[in-house]
Amino acid sequence: MTAITVSTAFSSGRVQLVNVRQLSLLTARLRVLWVAGVFTLVALAALARIAVLGLVEQAPRPQSMSEALLPPRGEITDRNGVPLARAFPAYALWFNPEALGDGGSALVRSPGEVAAELAKIFPDMDRTRLAARLKSGKPGYLRRRLLPEEANRVQAIGELALEIPRENDRYYPQGSMAAHVLGYVGSDGVGRVGMEAVLDKQLRDPALRGQPASLSIDVRVQGALEDELRQGMLATDAVGSAGIVLDVDSGEVLALASLPEFNPNQIDAKGASMMFNRMTNQVYELGSTFKPLTIASAIDAGVVTDLSRRYPSGAPLHIGGFLIRDSHNLGPSLNVPEALIHSSNIVTAQVADLLGAKALRQTMVDLGMNERPYIELPARGFPIWAKGEWPRLRAMTVSYGHGIAVTPLHLASAYATLVNGGIWRPATLHKLAPGQAPRGRRVFKSSTSSRMRQLLRMIAVYGTGRSANAPGFRVGGKTGSAEKPGHGGYNRSSVVATFAAVFPMDRPRYVVLVMLDEPKGTAASSYQRTAAWNAAPIVGKLVPRIGPMLGIQPDETRDIDLSDLKPLVAGDKE
Amino acid sequence: MSASRPYVPRFGEKAPTLPAMRRNRRAELKIWWREIDRPLLVMILLLMAIGNVAVAAASPASARRLSTSAEHLPDLYFWTTHLRWQFLGIVTMLGASMLPRDLARRAGIVLGLSMMGALLLVPFIGHEVNGARRWLNLGFTFQPSEFLKPAFAITLAWILSWRVRDPNLPVIPMTAGIMGLTGILLMAQPDFGSTILFAGVWFVMVLLAGIPVQRIAIMGAAGAVMIGATYLFYDNARHRIDSFLGGGEAFDQVDLASRTLLAGGWTGSGLWLGIRKLSLPEAHTDYIFSVIGEEFGLLVCALVVMLYLAIIVRVLVRLVGEEELFAILAATGLAAQFGGQAFINILVNLQLFPSKGMTLPLVSYGGSSTIALCLTIGFLLAITRRNPYLTRDRFNFRAALGLGPRKSAARQVGRVASKEQAR
Repeated sequence: MTAITVSTAFSSGRVQLVNVRQLSLLTARLRVLWVAGVFTLVALAALARIAVLGLVEQAPRPQSMSEALLPPRGEITDRNGVPLARAFPAYALWFNPEALGDGGSALVRSPGEVAAELAKIFPDMDRTRLAARLKSGKPGYLRRRLLPEEANRVQAIGELALEIPRENDRYYPQGSMAAHVLGYVGSDGVGRVGMEAVLDKQLRDPALRGQPASLSIDVRVQGALEDELRQGMLATDAVGSAGIVLDVDSGEVLALASLPEFNPNQIDAKGASMMFNRMTNQVYELGSTFKPLTIASAIDAGVVTDLSRRYPSGAPLHIGGFLIRDSHNLGPSLNVPEALIHSSNIVTAQVADLLGAKALRQTMVDLGMNERPYIELPARGFPIWAKGEWPRLRAMTVSYGHGIAVTPLHLASAYATLVNGGIWRPATLHKLAPGQAPRGRRVFKSSTSSRMRQLLRMIAVYGTGRSANAPGFRVGGKTGSAEKPGHGGYNRSSVVATFAAVFPMDRPRYVVLVMLDEPKGTAASSYQRTAAWNAAPIVGKLVPRIGPMLGIQPDETRDIDLSDLKPLVAGDKE
Repeated sequence: MSASRPYVPRFGEKAPTLPAMRRNRRAELKIWWREIDRPLLVMILLLMAIGNVAVAAASPASARRLSTSAEHLPDLYFWTTHLRWQFLGIVTMLGASMLPRDLARRAGIVLGLSMMGALLLVPFIGHEVNGARRWLNLGFTFQPSEFLKPAFAITLAWILSWRVRDPNLPVIPMTAGIMGLTGILLMAQPDFGSTILFAGVWFVMVLLAGIPVQRIAIMGAAGAVMIGATYLFYDNARHRIDSFLGGGEAFDQVDLASRTLLAGGWTGSGLWLGIRKLSLPEAHTDYIFSVIGEEFGLLVCALVVMLYLAIIVRVLVRLVGEEELFAILAATGLAAQFGGQAFINILVNLQLFPSKGMTLPLVSYGGSSTIALCLTIGFLLAITRRNPYLTRDRFNFRAALGLGPRKSAARQVGRVASKEQAR
């Protein structure tokens, strides 16, 4: 009996204990999971912090001494080593109101006194505005570029809040020259627009940036081109102009300009609006400058075998409800040289018709007119190119440069092909060592090219290009004055005047292409808007300036032999 | 009848001895290998390997820094020394892990008592370095607070688990008293970082012991007050917290550490190729995580963080299936000790926590601390040993959350009781 009582009392105690044990185990097991959860959260926070640090925070850049001696960004030079863009470690003047670090006033002396001291160093800064600026206590630049002696004098003021951080700046010693070729460097240190963008990686690479990057540009030629273009543009009140000097044998660009230009040293909203490159990015219907391409294609294909053959030119051509006419009546009939000299749309269209749409289209494709121009610059315009098979009318309009819109650079490369023996090569802004020129592709036969040299020279001697015929430089070339397409057809009053020239014609070396966008008839152009009166004279003045720089001396005793073609146009001149 | 009666210890009567298997050393090793948490052991050894490489990376920086004109330390001085400590540590760890659970508990308690005694001696005969009196010199120099760490968790777990025997024992106030005494002794050194760590471990264990939620809130408030008081009365802590909140000066320790951490980018500069570490004080101890960042990259840093997390989660998740309260408490306490120290150090290096002066466990260079941490892990391995052939109660999540089945569990217990009563 007693054993049972003992047993009962004992077991009820044990029951309670079992219960307690069960409950505390349950709680402990659950709360172990809490602890695990907290540790997981902490670890996730640490991982997130690592990710943030790795992605966002600026790691201190490892820098070796040899690297410190290199320019922070490589130089760009022209083909002769003249600097076009340099790394320029500059001082800036920064106002740091926290510099004293005691939470009190930012300056030791009064803002007025400090402003007076600063105005003594920088007379162009406004004293009262500077004082207000210092008083406001907002951090910021007071001035972007300081000369070293100015920096010393600012230091001598003795205000900790005036900090003089060294900043790596890009300096373009030639100012706005070749701005579209060079581009600029943004405040983030990344190159924009021109070769600064193209060469960005190379210019920043520690292994490569010690060596300057040589461009194909020749600063002297570039300067002359920009000067003549600007004069011509201002004289004719054009909205813009573009020009290029291209080596016909290697494709190197010796000068490339688009006006109006910007100053890469000082990028502002106005500058940003000028960054558009008319030479490589804007497509135009370039008009009559296409005629030599059509004729060359026809000669090459054996369609034009007899240059004395005459084509009717008395009446406009009616093709499928479309009228092809000349600027004025050029007489009842013309042969091919005459058609080029007088720039006859009617005759060129007939030749193109004989040639056929397919063959003309193929020539244009071979000349790269159906894709963006070949050059390193990032801004390259896509041509307006009719897709598929061309109908008869399309071929006839393309033959005189309408119904196809390309960049002036396309045309310059095509002219190089026309005269260099018929090899098309991409244009490049990199300096090429002798023998490094790309092989290119053959578009015209060498014989065709020889014939075209004669014909282009004749245009400058007898035809619309006479004012480009600089004495002794054997210039040849073709004018083009295309009306710009406007609302509902072509706008007769706004034209694109182009002169595509080559010199010296007896042994062609350089293509010089000049284009004026919407020139007006002014006194300087004898109140004419056509290329013969505005673009051709620019070339006429430019060639004598750049010829000697490029090793081509004027020589009245040398010229291409025109004696076999002269009789065909002798009736006109001389 | 009497056969069903349980054994009640009373004077003059011995517990019946269970038939035991004859064991020799080889069999014990086999059993040890079967029962030990092998993935945990692998992760710990991996961590120690990382620590070995990291100390090799940091050693030149600290050796050059601590060389004087009188004594030149070779570049790999700390690494070669560390190798010795790691070897001793691994021996300690494996030795401790071979203890049976009961023996581990007793060892922990004895160690805890002796280290408390040593800690009491520190203010009187302690050895002062850098303005802190933390070391005892008994022929060899050691830091009692380091060895108190593993013992502390085991002792507290032992005390807290008394509650299962007698629910009326005031176990939580008892541990609070021990914690208070330890805290005072540590702050006398002064060692704010260790105090925080001990308090954290105590809090985790008390939490597991079933303290009600509203009391947790009260303790949180008390903790905030304590930290506030520390801030007001303990200069070093104030400076560190100030510099953490204020961003600090340009070239203070934390800033140097952050520069070092980021210098290698994602993939690091490579072993012995770091430069920033050379200007970093305590490169081989407190800021070794930053050295890992410079030489091996942020990705390896993330890997280290994940390795610590994996170790802790592995221990804790396995504990959910444990049936002995002491084991749960002790193992969680040890894991919290280890993980808490690791994450405080990592967060300091990542500038998410004020500078503490705490090493990265098993990675940083250290004598006392490496041995003590290996002992911690050894105890942890010993306590988490389990026979893989025994099946255990599954963790009843709903019951733990206080949902339906808990009642049924109580009812079941009640039913057993009534059955027994009916008998």
